[in-house]
Amino acid sequence: MEIIKTENLTYTYPIGEKPAFSNVSITINKGEFVLLTGPSGCGKTTLCRCFNGLIPHFYNGTLEGKITVAGMDVTEHPIHEFAQHVGLVFQNPENQLFALSVEKDVAFALENLGLPREEIRRRVDWALEVTGITDLKDRAPYELSGGQQQRVAIASVLAMKPDVIVLDEPTSFLDPLSAKKIFDVIGGLNRGLGITIILVEHRLDLAARYADRIIVMDEGKIILDGKPREVFSSEEARLVGVGIPRATRLYQVLKGMGLDLGGVPITSEEASKMVREVLTRRAPSKNPLGRREAGTQVLPAGKAGSKTVIEVEDVYYTYPNGVEALRGVSLRVREGEFVAIMGQNGAGKTTLVKHFNGLLKPTRGRVLIDGVETRGVSVARLARKVGFVFQNPDHQLFCETVEKEVAFALKNFGFDEETTRKRVDWALNILDLTEYRDVSPFMLSGGERKRVALASVLAWDPEVLILDEPTIGQDYRQKERLMNFIMQLNAQGKTVIIVTHDVEFVAECKPRVILMAEGKILADGDPHKVLTDLNLLERASLTPPEASQILEGLKDVGLDGEAIDVYEVSRLIMERFKSASGVENP
Amino acid sequence: MSMFDGFKFRKVSSPIHRLDPRVKFLYVCVTFTVAVLFIQLIPLLLLFLIQLPMILAARVQREWMRSMKGSAFFAALIFVMNALSLYFYGSFDSVFSVIERSLAVTVRFLVLIASFSVFFLTTSPDHLGLALEQSGIPYDVCFAFTTAVRFVPVLAEEAQTIIDAQRARGLELEKGNFMSRVRKYIPILIPLIVSAIRRSLELAEAMESRAWGANPKRTSLYVLKIGRGDYYLLAASILMLAISLYVWFYVPVPSLS
Repeated sequence: MEIIKTENLTYTYPIGEKPAFSNVSITINKGEFVLLTGPSGCGKTTLCRCFNGLIPHFYNGTLEGKITVAGMDVTEHPIHEFAQHVGLVFQNPENQLFALSVEKDVAFALENLGLPREEIRRRVDWALEVTGITDLKDRAPYELSGGQQQRVAIASVLAMKPDVIVLDEPTSFLDPLSAKKIFDVIGGLNRGLGITIILVEHRLDLAARYADRIIVMDEGKIILDGKPREVFSSEEARLVGVGIPRATRLYQVLKGMGLDLGGVPITSEEASKMVREVLTRRAPSKNPLGRREAGTQVLPAGKAGSKTVIEVEDVYYTYPNGVEALRGVSLRVREGEFVAIMGQNGAGKTTLVKHFNGLLKPTRGRVLIDGVETRGVSVARLARKVGFVFQNPDHQLFCETVEKEVAFALKNFGFDEETTRKRVDWALNILDLTEYRDVSPFMLSGGERKRVALASVLAWDPEVLILDEPTIGQDYRQKERLMNFIMQLNAQGKTVIIVTHDVEFVAECKPRVILMAEGKILADGDPHKVLTDLNLLERASLTPPEASQILEGLKDVGLDGEAIDVYEVSRLIMERFKSASGVENP
Repeated sequence: MSMFDGFKFRKVSSPIHRLDPRVKFLYVCVTFTVAVLFIQLIPLLLLFLIQLPMILAARVQREWMRSMKGSAFFAALIFVMNALSLYFYGSFDSVFSVIERSLAVTVRFLVLIASFSVFFLTTSPDHLGLALEQSGIPYDVCFAFTTAVRFVPVLAEEAQTIIDAQRARGLELEKGNFMSRVRKYIPILIPLIVSAIRRSLELAEAMESRAWGANPKRTSLYVLKIGRGDYYLLAASILMLAISLYVWFYVPVPSLS
């Protein structure tokens, strides 16, 4: 039975010149779990806004074609009538919770509907129970972690007992473990209660396993629509830059090396199973190879020099409100190193890096930048050496044009006009922004704004570059581009520090990893060691990279090693495959 | 630490927290009136002492002390300014009475801070919103009020992040003369305003998606009920006002000097 049906739907925002999407015809049936994906700006969020009437009622603009939701024509009924059929959960948990207690927030919609108080009470308790947050009911939403907040948001739409729940990148701000919990909750709603789910997501590794169907959009059009396995193995998916799951990628890589798994895996478990079958069928293991270091063939990240640029000695930091964010942190970063500081939100990562340019001064202990203690040195002077790109570009962009934005810091630092002009040209050029020179940064897309923010820091050519959560909200292509850019900078000798909980990104860049939890450093070293240590990762609320999860599932056939990306894993599998076949046919 | 720390609601369970915000507000108003009624030290001191049992009963003494400490500077300022102006321009005959009067004004200030602080420390903004709602104020207004309260800490945090982001780009807020310093706040204000607008749009979207305005007769999950404690406080407030008025009209207030 269909619940959402669109026919040749085309929509243009009031300020838009061209349609956000055009000629979209889809039918979504009751009980389906649909994963909607595609590069940033492809129109997927806009499409979701049509499902409960936000478009056209809230956004105006021109909507052409036909759309019916739960049998009602969207253009003919007000938003609140759809609210009871379609619940929307948005990306930023902070901006969708209004009340001062969780319970009241979950009740919000029911109160608006004017249901009897006893009914509200019953439904609130039920929604809290189903999403597993009953124990949080009296807490204030703003005190909760992002993952908990997002579950409150889900509970608050669930309380309306909708037929469909649409979630627009609900996990972009969350660490991998919290993201997994959210997907589990959503999966449960779909399987257990039969609620239709439309999930917009870039993190396909985690989400793909729940989906019955995947719709890929690009440039306002639907380009693929089908079963996950078909979509992921299609050539188009690769071309548009859909971040296909690592398990599927492994299948493709192995196929390229001449090993066919005979099916397309989507999850790490499936991949492990298929590889195991191929290995044991073709070559029964007589002589397990034992533990191998896959990391040895990988180029060491950067060419770290001997000079120490950042030295942190037993630093403690307590915020004015009494929160102890750092509790005895010591580390040393050498010139030209590439470092990732990882850990869950609240582990002290950002607090730590804010010490590197003097935004924070240690309560106890000391921080030396290029041998100079930060205490008593101004932020402006330290910032010349240590550039810091904040997570959200909107927290720093304010000029009328991109050019002025990039020149802002140079003016502050007192560069002369000639140098400023040259540096701006250079920075715009390497970040591919030259064409936007005279455009207002506010007119650019999210990814472009992020690049402007990066250019505005890179312009003064700091010795050390710090990037705080650079991958949040970025699609697969943008991440790939960012990774290449960082690697290139690092290869040119720049010291790069990223703060992130994006395990896959780190597994692919392979920087030195510093793992933090509760204001302390848990581990510091080679990513192959740190990211494969399950015990450590759990304490830091991270999950191992997909690739090493695949390998973990192959331990019983004697395949074992510290591989963290798909290429390393495929290499191990191939080695094993060849040596084992070699034993059979000398 | 600031004076405002003593106004942030802390979730504690106490008889005072359970009181109806409307009655508590009435009590604060009575305290306010009485404090303004008298200018003599003794009644004001008494009024100040009356606040203490309530603070202890609400178990917010630590936060309350913080707000007292935070206001110490202003209290000292009020005292000195009063003492100086009364000494040079007033018609008091002795230094002692100048000090007494200045102390009285200072205590009056402390009484106001103390009672407001108790009110805000023990009243959850949710309850306050509810009290507004049940007083017949349109729900839109009440919602705007609770949302504002909810987003104050969020915006404060955001402002700090923006300041940090701009300082990391070499902005030096503390340098330069007055005018150039004012201009230096532009890089902070613009992102703050833009982000507030973006946030309000997202909020509106989320509200719409949760059936905002679906039913003109909105239900509320909670209802405030006037309990026994509320009657006690109500009686105490009326009594306090009556006694004060009686004293004010008929009893000459003794002075220390």
